[in-house]
Amino acid sequence: MKKNQFKAFLSALLFFVGVGMYAQSVSGTVTSEDGPLPGATVVVKGTANGTTTDFDGNFTIAASADAILEVSFVGFTTQEVAVGGQDQITITLATDNELEEVVVTGYGSQRQKEITSAVVKVDAEDFNKGNINDASQLLQGKVAGLQVYNRGGDPNAAATIRLRGISTVGANAQPLVVIDGVIGASLANVDPSDIESINVLKDGSAAAIYGSRGSSGVILVTTKSGKEGKVQFNYNGQLGVTSALNTVDIMTAQEFVAAGGTDLGSDTDWVDEVTRQALTTIHNFSAAGGHGDTSYRISANFRDVEGVLISSDFQQFNTRLNFTTKALNDKLTINFNSALTKREQNNGSSESMKYAVLYNPTAPIYGVDSPYQFASEQFGGYFETLGLFDSYNPVSIANQQINKGDKTEVNYSVNLNYKVSDAITVNGNFANQVSKYSNKLYNPTTLLRGGNATSPLRKGLAEFYDQTYSFKLAELYGNYNANFGNTKLVLTAGYSFQQQNFEDHFTSLGDFPDNSLDYINAVEYSQDLLNAGLIGANSNKSPDDRIIAFFGRANVTIDDAIFINASIRREGSTKLGADEQWGIFPAIGVGVDLNKYLNTGADKFKVRVGYGVTGALPGPNGLSQQIRNFTYDGGQGGGSSSPSRDANPTLKWEEKAETNLGIEYRKGKWDATLDLYTRDISDFILERTVDVTLYPTGRRFENAGKLNTKGVELALNYEVNDMYTTGLVLSSYSTTLDEYVLDAEMRANLGAPGQNATAVVRVKQGEEIGQIWGPVFEGVSGGNPVFADINGDGQVIAAQDKALDDNVDMQELGNGIPDLELGWTNQIAFGDWTINAFFRGAFGHSLVNTFRAFYEPRLSTQGSYNFVNTELAQDGLTTARFSSLYVEKADFFKLDNLTVTRNFDMSNSDAFDSIQVSLNAQNPLVFTSYTGLDPEPALIDIGEDGRGADVLSPGLDRRNSYFASRSFTLGVNIKF
Amino acid sequence: MKSFFRTMLLATSASAVLFSCTDLEEELVGEITTAVSVSAPASSGGAGGGGDALAGAYAQLRNSGTANHFGYFSLNGIASDEMAIAAKGGDWYDGGVLIEVHQHTYTPTNGMVGSAWNGQYGAIGSINDAIANLGLDNAQTAQMRALRAYFYWRLLDMFGSVKIVTAPGQTASQSNPQQVFDFIESELLATLGITAVTSSMDLSTSPLGLDNNTYRINRFAAMGMLAKLYLNSEAYTGVAKFQEAHDAADYIIANGPYRLSDSSVSVPNLGKRPSVDSDPDNLTGYAAIFAPNNEGNPEHIFSVNYDEATGGGMNFAKMTLHYSSQFTWNFQDQPWNGYAALEDFYNSYDDNDLRKANNFIVGPQLDFGGSAVLDYASDDGDPPLNYTPRINELQPNSLREAGARLGKFSFQQFGRPDQNNDFPIVRLGDIHLIRAEAAARANSNWNHPTTLADVNAIRARAGVSAMTNITADDFLAERGREMFQETSRRTDLIRFGKWTSAWWEKPVEADDHTALFPIPFEQIQAGDGLSQNPGY
Repeated sequence: MKKNQFKAFLSALLFFVGVGMYAQSVSGTVTSEDGPLPGATVVVKGTANGTTTDFDGNFTIAASADAILEVSFVGFTTQEVAVGGQDQITITLATDNELEEVVVTGYGSQRQKEITSAVVKVDAEDFNKGNINDASQLLQGKVAGLQVYNRGGDPNAAATIRLRGISTVGANAQPLVVIDGVIGASLANVDPSDIESINVLKDGSAAAIYGSRGSSGVILVTTKSGKEGKVQFNYNGQLGVTSALNTVDIMTAQEFVAAGGTDLGSDTDWVDEVTRQALTTIHNFSAAGGHGDTSYRISANFRDVEGVLISSDFQQFNTRLNFTTKALNDKLTINFNSALTKREQNNGSSESMKYAVLYNPTAPIYGVDSPYQFASEQFGGYFETLGLFDSYNPVSIANQQINKGDKTEVNYSVNLNYKVSDAITVNGNFANQVSKYSNKLYNPTTLLRGGNATSPLRKGLAEFYDQTYSFKLAELYGNYNANFGNTKLVLTAGYSFQQQNFEDHFTSLGDFPDNSLDYINAVEYSQDLLNAGLIGANSNKSPDDRIIAFFGRANVTIDDAIFINASIRREGSTKLGADEQWGIFPAIGVGVDLNKYLNTGADKFKVRVGYGVTGALPGPNGLSQQIRNFTYDGGQGGGSSSPSRDANPTLKWEEKAETNLGIEYRKGKWDATLDLYTRDISDFILERTVDVTLYPTGRRFENAGKLNTKGVELALNYEVNDMYTTGLVLSSYSTTLDEYVLDAEMRANLGAPGQNATAVVRVKQGEEIGQIWGPVFEGVSGGNPVFADINGDGQVIAAQDKALDDNVDMQELGNGIPDLELGWTNQIAFGDWTINAFFRGAFGHSLVNTFRAFYEPRLSTQGSYNFVNTELAQDGLTTARFSSLYVEKADFFKLDNLTVTRNFDMSNSDAFDSIQVSLNAQNPLVFTSYTGLDPEPALIDIGEDGRGADVLSPGLDRRNSYFASRSFTLGVNIKF
Repeated sequence: MKSFFRTMLLATSASAVLFSCTDLEEELVGEITTAVSVSAPASSGGAGGGGDALAGAYAQLRNSGTANHFGYFSLNGIASDEMAIAAKGGDWYDGGVLIEVHQHTYTPTNGMVGSAWNGQYGAIGSINDAIANLGLDNAQTAQMRALRAYFYWRLLDMFGSVKIVTAPGQTASQSNPQQVFDFIESELLATLGITAVTSSMDLSTSPLGLDNNTYRINRFAAMGMLAKLYLNSEAYTGVAKFQEAHDAADYIIANGPYRLSDSSVSVPNLGKRPSVDSDPDNLTGYAAIFAPNNEGNPEHIFSVNYDEATGGGMNFAKMTLHYSSQFTWNFQDQPWNGYAALEDFYNSYDDNDLRKANNFIVGPQLDFGGSAVLDYASDDGDPPLNYTPRINELQPNSLREAGARLGKFSFQQFGRPDQNNDFPIVRLGDIHLIRAEAAARANSNWNHPTTLADVNAIRARAGVSAMTNITADDFLAERGREMFQETSRRTDLIRFGKWTSAWWEKPVEADDHTALFPIPFEQIQAGDGLSQNPGY
């Protein structure tokens, strides 16, 4: 209200001034569908002569009879009106959602309608709600083609983010994150509550301007900033409860004993013992405001999050400052951004979850309850089933192991924007980021797992790890704007310099006298010091890992309906082979607003085509160089080096070329965007087996092949009525291995016990990736599985190590990649209430349920482990051997996120501007036939140790997955 | 427009100055990228001598699968009638690899075969690198050539037709077994400074030394390798060279500073449990050859230097022992309950044969304090762990306690994941048996005096009575008892024509194509011009 009065006053003043200065005047009224528009701008085209409408939408302006008036207002299409001798004109402006929809595209921004590539913007109000501690999860299911999967609910694990499926093989597959223009910034350093909007650049033509780091997609994050006006305070608080949603079906103590298991006399629900109702507390404070040319926002965020596993949690403090001001006669805009994150976490051991599943359910927790004489004090009071392979008391691990992480992240960036003239601006981006992480792990002398508690003398193990990562960015670029008739031109050219430094140190030493010493301050009592060779130590440094790039771009808009965007980036990296350091990344996109030329009756009908090339850099340094080991000879001090990895000086850029066709259509209550794409990833980098006679280490990094992905994405929105809007996002793709250095290969080994040399994913040239490959289970005979004679030759060859042989009886048992993924948003608003219900599903993918593959058969020799006992368990099967029996369809459909919000009317309050209370449920309903922990697709294989990231082997639900969880969160938002 | 370009030009050149814009040289400061060698002062040399430029290459003996799981040792061991890894329910099935190897149904995709191939070529690559890049002198180069010849001997023995590569990055075509044999022979002869092995050869021009450093190849070590090559010449190429084998072995026995490790040789028993009286205080004679503290044993001519801290790669304790046996020796790592000796092989020893007690672990097991070691998941419901020589079946449900365990390279208390025992590649006991067999075959007489003398020298040391009448089968059995767990059995069975015979759960074979392993599938795919061995 105040603002409008001020504007009315201003308008009136201008009106009088105008009247005083110009004799010839034109009057008029500017209206919209809903009535008069106060504050609209009216300018005589080609002059500086302008005014704004008053409170009733009226204006008067001095203009000649042949002048053209340009009338514009935020949220409406600008209209040009010829005066044509009239002295009273009524102008009705049409609403234009796109006009103000400015989309950040990298080194600049464009109006939504000028975009020629697949770019999706998600605003804060559309983000996922509830117990979300990782910014990427805000987007889960919201953007067609963007896969965000956090299998299980580990509070300390980052989500796997994939854009349009597999984007690279040997390189970093996480998307490039750009925060407020800073390339390569850390998503972990932004609190989700500080994010204003996120743009996802989906196709190559948009991402190409980011060159070698753009292949895995680009996520542009814009943080909240201050606006002119009074200081606005905001408090957001959340209190959540999380519990394990699903655990592996295992036998109860009674069932276990009945099935012939060793009875140790107790009845323990191990899963229950290592999990909890976990509490989450979140507080976000912010203050934002501005005066004149200066605006600011400062925030402080506290998160105290417990994991479902009793030993996992984190506490995080984050603060962010955003400050903007102008100088040099307003020609220079200075923006300063800074953030600090301090986090302390208990990592917990996902092994406690694994052992909770397979530990004997009749075993007691504590040694005093042992059915036989047991030296409890040696194990910290806990019971242990000594002498079994891979069997450890999960409660003992969870309670005794110390696994603490400590993380500090700081970044600051300065953006200088200098307006040389109306046509030319020059930008400088300077950013610095430092991340430090340290981890302290201690397996006490009384811990069997890793602490060697059975030994009379040598026990306990301490590990220390710290790493420092720093990143520097310096970029300079300029923009030039020009208009030629009905053609608008924007040229951009610039230079980018990026440098990363990484360093880490690792030390492990063990054999402590007992637990009475605080190991962190008493490592001098380690017996390993007596024999220095037994102290583990490792350090790595990869300094001055640089990227240097030159880029240019032209945006051409013709007739405000034909849009052409072309860019080129030439970029070099230290990580590539000496002869192949530089790459060129071109892109072109064309879009046409067909509505302007065809009378379709639609509100929007735009077609766009884009083509772009991006790259992907390998993760580690030095892949092109030979690396050697140094061997000391018998501890005598002398020794020599010998090769440990072979060089490849011709290692070159992994390139992704992508063509995208998009159609955007809106009519009435319908809004639809369809994207079709095809992309080729060529020269993907992979460490592979090479001819050992030529390369003695047998492995080296090579440009190993080519992948093609074809996909389709559809986003549909429908406004059912004033109260209810709904949106559907669908995506589907398939990826084929067009070329590969080998004809075929088996990947993803299941592992011990007994299933080594049991790789279950087949990669074959010319075929789709993600094939789970093995024998088909037909039944049980004499305790053994019977497999199908697939080729009908009368003999069954089903040993997994022969999977690639010609006469083998195996087939594709499922595919790890979903055929269709779906996100369905629903928003219902009535009065002060809003309900958001978000459903999500994935269909057509399978998972290898490894818990079942190892522990469901009733192995007579493993009667002291619990048995997994799903409805798929086979009576009488007593040997574990991989087959179709353990490959399950993992289709799911779930109510992912349900939020009910109540707004309280505070218009009569002096203290508060608004109060909002919300109740949120994550994962309240899941529909799936999958018997394992979590039916979410496993897009990468984490390997037996849980540390891998093999993108060529999707579809494995590994034993060390964190339990999936369900949360309920109460939130309050107060503005004052 | 003009001013725009002027501004951009200025900005670009300014930034160029600021950031030295085209410097993209990668410097790996966290890795060794060039050839380095450091020689320790000679005075610092102990039993193993000072480290030198050859350390990296000799380390390949440890890295090439000599005494750990899934490589050279495993492939040769479980393919023979010495030992097997039985599948225990779900455990140790491992995609069928282990059963295939024991039953000789392996195919080119068998991962263990691939691992054995890669291990040897990895070693050869390191040796070629040392010769090319480390500035070696003549004597050192000769050692490297002999060591390389040894690895080519392993390849010849396992695969027959392989590529011979003698310099880094060199491409080669596949050689046939005769060519590989000729290469190994000529390399070893050259390092010995001779053109043929005869009873009257003169090694005075050999660049190899005479130092008794068992971790380095001297003239006797190279001669021992030649003896093994010649003994098997007929099996490799069809041309018998038993006289040469005899002369080579005879030279070592006559001229070398070595003696059999008999009852006069004794080392402290590092595996002794203080509260278990039956544990001896010392390991004597045969047992001393393989003990954790066996460095400097007088029988070692050339051995692999294993060390728990600086020379890892021997994991027999984990590979063979039951999980609970951890408490007998207080191992840092829990064992895996895998390898066990076949019952018939175990029974081929007389009960009073000293080697039987050393080579196998059988019967009830006691922990550090002398109490019974327990297995609560025992198949028979009787917790005390008791290793039985009988193995009920190869698959799918071998019992957890079934099988005599591999105890030759005995274990020490508080053992680390890697063992300390040195592994002999050439030892005098073997040389005696080579001479015995070569004499018998060269003279077509298994009761040749040399044969009887050598065999009985070995038997005397083992505490068993002398033989007076020997057949080929007797000799093979004796050799088996002596050389158990030393990766000799497969080669011996082939040479004695027993490879295709049936034993335990291994059926008789129609032909002997399995005497050579298949060339690994991965390597045929990755390399140029490798053709598969016949029969695969």
